[in-house]
Amino acid sequence: MTSGPAIADLQRLSEEVARDPGSSSFLPLAEAYRRMGKTQAALRVCLRGLERSPGHVGAHLLLARLYLELGDRERAADEWAVAVRLDPDNFDAHRGLGFFHLERGELSSASRHLERAARARPADPAVREALNVLRRRQAREAARAKLRVADTGVAPVDPVAPVAPPVAATSAVDAAPAQDVAVAESAAPPPDVASRESAAAPAQGASPAQVVSPPQGAAQVQGAAAAEARRAGGFERDPARVFEPLSVEAPYLGGLLLDSRGLVLAGSFRTDGMERGEMLGAVIGAAAEEAARTAALLSIGPWRGILMETERALLHVAPLEQNLFVLTAAVHGTPVGWMLRAAERAAKLARAFLEGEA
Amino acid sequence: MSDVVSAALSRLSQVPGVRSAMIVDAEAGVPVASELGAGVSGEAIAALTASLFQRTEQAARDAALGRLGSLQLETDEGHVVVAGSRPLIVVVIADRDAQLGLIRLEADRAVEALR
Repeated sequence: MTSGPAIADLQRLSEEVARDPGSSSFLPLAEAYRRMGKTQAALRVCLRGLERSPGHVGAHLLLARLYLELGDRERAADEWAVAVRLDPDNFDAHRGLGFFHLERGELSSASRHLERAARARPADPAVREALNVLRRRQAREAARAKLRVADTGVAPVDPVAPVAPPVAATSAVDAAPAQDVAVAESAAPPPDVASRESAAAPAQGASPAQVVSPPQGAAQVQGAAAAEARRAGGFERDPARVFEPLSVEAPYLGGLLLDSRGLVLAGSFRTDGMERGEMLGAVIGAAAEEAARTAALLSIGPWRGILMETERALLHVAPLEQNLFVLTAAVHGTPVGWMLRAAERAAKLARAFLEGEA
Repeated sequence: MSDVVSAALSRLSQVPGVRSAMIVDAEAGVPVASELGAGVSGEAIAALTASLFQRTEQAARDAALGRLGSLQLETDEGHVVVAGSRPLIVVVIADRDAQLGLIRLEADRAVEALR
């Protein structure tokens, strides 16, 4: 049983927060409510506190945990993303985002966040096991791609696209029996990685999450196949490098393939040595909605692109197909004509990536 | 509104292909001055373009790309050009085949006049 504050403490905290919603007492009060199982009350206190202290990392982490407990993983991920923006080395936020992306089969993003979490706390058992799961999935996808090429001669699918649950899979690789691997329970329970892979997965926050992996023998075969595919070249593709052909041209800064929720499907955008794709994607998704509304109001047909000039860059965002956008960025001062041509090439690369032909 | 700004707005609206030109309060999303084409709702355009401006401004800030200078929305049948910075922005709505270079030039002049 977790010990929480005494009733008197709770009353004192509550009075302090009532007097001043921005008081630093809002966090222990929200945490106390959470421990008492009063999740909604905790949520209200936390949100009110954040209105006054939007840069409070601990509050964003608690909010993420509350959303997680309410089953709203998207919002939890939003809060972790905010926490990472405020504190780029925050272990809990990177771990949360790592598990979130792993669960969704977004292996590149999962890898990025889990590696950051592992750097912060190398001994954390949940992160170490999640990285093991991630590597097995990457190897499995590479092997699956190789099998597909061998069987059909068709180019492989994206190895980091969302992974279909083994129970519903049909390929030779997927048909192998599954073996459960336990992930150690962590202090702040990450999203249930296994929920889409095992019907017997425990409830959110319950003891050890179960993660499916191929049996040892199959994994070895797949690992060898994946290694062979890597040696042959061209089979293992990194979504972060989809727009790399554009990078040989001097003005190019970065490119992103985004969905309507602002999530990054592929590409990379770095400034000042930091990857900012997810951050940019979140806002660009909203800007695209505004663009569509503006075009509709003015009755000037569907929108084809937005060109933005800032002090440091020239950016272009264009709809690719339903619910997908391509962002292309170049250094400030780049001719607009070059930008528009680069945007067209970026759209072609994105389409090829989506079709598994990049 | 000063004569300089009025003149800049007038020049903008006379560029071939320009349907409407406005000065908009980017924070409130309301029109400050306008030369509108027939059947155009200045209030609605001001609200939407200000919102679009704010979103892209936020994107630029979040990505450490500095201040947003201008944005241009391209559609099947036209363009919306937004230039300037808070509190006042210049908004131009133009036909698809309008001379965009000239519009951008005049929009920049209008922005200068607002400073």
